[in-house]
This record gives sequence, structure tokens and C-alpha cells, in this order.
Amino acid sequence: MTLKDFLNFLNKNTETIIEYTGNHFTLVLSAVIISLVIWVPVGLLLTKSDKWAARVLGLANTIFCIPSLSMFAILVTIPAFGLGRKSALFALILYAMMPLIRSVYDGAKNVDRSVIEAARGMGMSTARILREILVPLGMPIIFAGFRVTVVMTTGIAAIATYIGERNLGRFISEGLIRSNTPMMVTGALIISVIAIGLDTILGLIEKSIVPKGLRINR
Amino acid sequence: MIELKQITKQYLGQAMPAVENLSLSIPEGEICVLVGPSGCGKSTILRMINRMIEPTSGTVTIKGEDVSSTDSDQLRMGIGYVIQQIGLLPHRTIAENIAIVPRLYKWPKERIAKRVDELIVMMGLDLEKTRGKYPSQLSGGQMQRVGVARAMAVDPPIMLMDEPFGAVDPIARNHLQDELLRLQKEIKKTIVFVTHDINEAIKMGDNIAIFDAGKLVQFGTPEEILTNPKNSFVENFIGHDRVVKKLNLYRADDAMQPVGCLVKESDLQSAGQRMKDAGTEVAFLLNEVGQRLGHLTFAEFEAGKGDLEGLRKKVLRTEKAFVQISTSLPDALSLLLEFDSDYLGILKGDELCGMLSFKDIRKHVYRKDGE
Repeated sequence: MTLKDFLNFLNKNTETIIEYTGNHFTLVLSAVIISLVIWVPVGLLLTKSDKWAARVLGLANTIFCIPSLSMFAILVTIPAFGLGRKSALFALILYAMMPLIRSVYDGAKNVDRSVIEAARGMGMSTARILREILVPLGMPIIFAGFRVTVVMTTGIAAIATYIGERNLGRFISEGLIRSNTPMMVTGALIISVIAIGLDTILGLIEKSIVPKGLRINR
Repeated sequence: MIELKQITKQYLGQAMPAVENLSLSIPEGEICVLVGPSGCGKSTILRMINRMIEPTSGTVTIKGEDVSSTDSDQLRMGIGYVIQQIGLLPHRTIAENIAIVPRLYKWPKERIAKRVDELIVMMGLDLEKTRGKYPSQLSGGQMQRVGVARAMAVDPPIMLMDEPFGAVDPIARNHLQDELLRLQKEIKKTIVFVTHDINEAIKMGDNIAIFDAGKLVQFGTPEEILTNPKNSFVENFIGHDRVVKKLNLYRADDAMQPVGCLVKESDLQSAGQRMKDAGTEVAFLLNEVGQRLGHLTFAEFEAGKGDLEGLRKKVLRTEKAFVQISTSLPDALSLLLEFDSDYLGILKGDELCGMLSFKDIRKHVYRKDGE
């Protein structure tokens, strides 16, 4: 493959590339948003009960261990899901469970007990302690988990092409079947750029979101 | 003020109750110290007052009101709470930390800012330098001051302090104790103070409650407890230096006696006669312009009668044996030993107002009540 072949491919297939990239993005975005809405509260709730925390974290870990191709295959066999976006979205949300719950739980659990004890002793309500203490103090760990989730979701989303998702993963799978190198490279490159780009942006946001008092040293 | 009635706390899965059938009445405006070895239930008792822990049975009342019938958050907002680990919010500035409870009360911003400044100054911290700092930028002693300031923010009538000075170094601890005592003279809060250190209890407490294995063993003033320990547990807990500890309760002016005889340097040879006339054992010597030179006992005078220069030297040896009236008795005792002297002159400012001997200290410690 020469650079010319590659540029040729980009030129001829601009519309498809845009469509696939858009599909890829919307899948990742909706998966991440839904995951945040579901798993962050679950993670916070788990800090209330060690017993349930062990159970749910164990379950999340087990799910995380299932290879993505197997996961998609299993979901497709369930009539309610079938081929396409539903299965893809559901799988991505399941995968996000482990990193998100784990980081939210660890982040909140890591907050110094004496800070919470003092806050309770001053008459702060549970909701206020959550909002003003647990979340901001747990933020560095929570955000690290969030970054991992976003990058991971971007990668696994590509595999959803095997269950009918028309996204950047399709360039890679089709390219492999047809021995079309420019096609493969296009898919691989754009997915990588998206993943690295998202991680970089989130890294910048992370810096601004960590409370100032935690960044200061004597 | 705070009334504990037949309180028992039994934790699940533990054979012995943490607190057993405790009744205790904590008087208003005083410091009540709960003291005992670790695991004796003293912290549990403290935490039942602001409902951080609920008793298994029994009631806690504050000003006659049963605390279990109040909203726990509201109750805690009205009670100052200081813990050993302080628990400052690391992501909030010192000013923001002190402002936590005022914010819960929804005070207007200007009022909060004014109160925060007031407290930072009251705690002896540098206002401009401290206000905007984060907890991690302060020393342990400074953080504990902020902890106390935070607890006093809305001027609550009751303060609960759980080993508040346990984690700071001994010098800073001493400072913090002195300052709390000084502050208490003005603010007159009802303070419940938990410690495992009997010396701290004696120093801080108007009343001391000694606990062992969840039971109240003895309750009384430091003097009562040091004078009449109820049983061998209390005796052992106080330690064998019980009487020396008791000295901590007194100052030089509590035990001193008036100066019986003042002699001018030029009248040194008649000092013996003057002591006899005054019926005293010791004379303080002044030079011509009224400066204190030291003292001379009758025995010393008799032994060196003929040798005026020798007597003068003996007097000058005790030149430094003077202390201020506010000196604690243990310090005075130590100085008596240090100067190898029988007497100490007691000064009020620059005025000689009394004298103190080993005998006076002994007499004071063993005096009967009402004497």
C-alpha cells in the first residue's frame, strides 16, 4: 500500500467514513452516558453495605471477564435484543459496570473516615456529605475509572460490527476479509485517534476537576 | 444540663456491654472529663450525647429534653464536636472549614465571614495567612486549633471533645490545654472532654468521671478523687505519684505564709533577735535601696553568728529563690530542691508577699477541708 492508495480510499469513501465515525461516536456516547447514570449511583450505594459491595463487585468482575465477541454472540441469541444496536449498547453498558462501580466505590471508600465522622458530628445530612465530601474527595479515583471506561468502550464498540453495527470496526473486518489494506488502516487509525483524543481531553478535564486543596503540598 | 439516665450500650456480638447502667449528671458551664483506660466506654458515652451512637436502653436529656425525640442532624448542629483526628475537609480552605456549621444554619455571608475572622483571631492564628490556606498546609497544633474554632463557630452551649489534643506533640498539647482553659473562663461552655491521660483530666476537669469496663467507678472534683480514691483501680489509674499530682491543683499562694521578718543588710547582726521577736524561723534580707538579697534561717544565723561576711554569703546563695505567686506547687517544690533551700520567697509582681517552705506544702496537702 502506498500513501497514494490510502489517500485515494479516503477520497472515494468520505461519506461512508463520516457515517461510520458518526455511528461509532453515538454508540460510545450513549453507552457512556447510560452507564454513568446507572453505575455511579450503584457505586455510591455500595459504600453503605460491605456485603452487597462484595457481591456486586464480584458480579461486575465476572461480566468483565467474558470476551467481547462471546458477549455479543450471547446477547444476539436473546430475542429481546437480537442483531444491532440494542445488543451492542447493552454489552457496552455491562462492560462499563466494572470500571465505573469499582472506581466510584473505591473513590468514596478512600475518603478519610475521620472527615466523614466530623461532618456527621457537625450535623451534615447524608445527602450533603455525599455531595460536598464523598464526590469531590473521591473525584480523582472516580475520574480515572471514567477515563478507562471511555477508552475501553471506544475499542469494544468496534467489535460490535460483527453483530450489525455499521461503524469504524466494519472497515477493519471488511478490510481483513477483502485484503484491502487502505480500508483496514483507515478504520484502525480513526478508532485509535478517537480513543487517544478522548483520553487526552478527559485528562485535561481531570486536572481542572480535582479539588485545589488536594493538589497542594506543604 | 446533660443528664444520662441508666444508659446501657450493648454492641451486637459482644459479651460485655460497652456501657452498663450509667447515670451521670453533667453540670452546666463546667468541664467534665471522662477518663479511663482504652475500651472503657468513655468515647461511646460521649457519642451517645449527640446521637452518633444510640443507647440500647436509657435516656440522654439535654436541658430536660430527651435527645432521642429530636432530629439528629439538628441536635448535632447545636453541639460543638471535636475529635482527635480533627477531620478537617482537605478540599476546603480554613475559612470554609470553620464556616461549615454556620452555613448549615444558613447564616448570611457577611455574618459568616465576620464570625470566621473572629474565631481565627481568638484561636491565636494569623488571620491573613491562615484564612485562605488548606488544611494540609498547617501544622498539627494549628489544625487542632481550627478544629476547636470550627466546633465553636455558632457558639453552641455544649462542646463534646473526644481526645482533642491526643495527636499533637506534648508542647503544643500543653499550649492548647492552657488556651482552652483560658478561653473557658470567658465562654463558660458545658464541655464533655474524653481522655485516657489522667494528668490531662486533672488539669482540665472541673469534674472527673473515671470509668472501667463500661462502668462509672468514681465521679468528683480532681481534689476529691486525688484525696480519696474510691478503690484500688482508681488508685492504680492515678499512679503512685498521686500526692505530687494533687499539687498540680494548687498555686504558690494557696500554701504560702506571710513573711514574718524583713531585715536590712546593715542590721544583719541583729537578725537573730528580730526573728525571735517576730516568732519566725526565717528572715528576708534587703539592701539599702530595698532590693531583695535572699533569706537566712534562724539556725543558719546561730551557726555563723560571729562571721558577718559568711552570713552575707549564705544569704546571697538564695538570691534566686523567689517565684511568682501564680507558680504551681510542683514547680515551686522543684525549685526548692533545685536551690537546695528551705524557703522560697513568693512575689506578686515585684513585691514580696509571702514565703513557702516544704512544711507549708506538706501542711497544705494534708490540711482538712474547711481549714
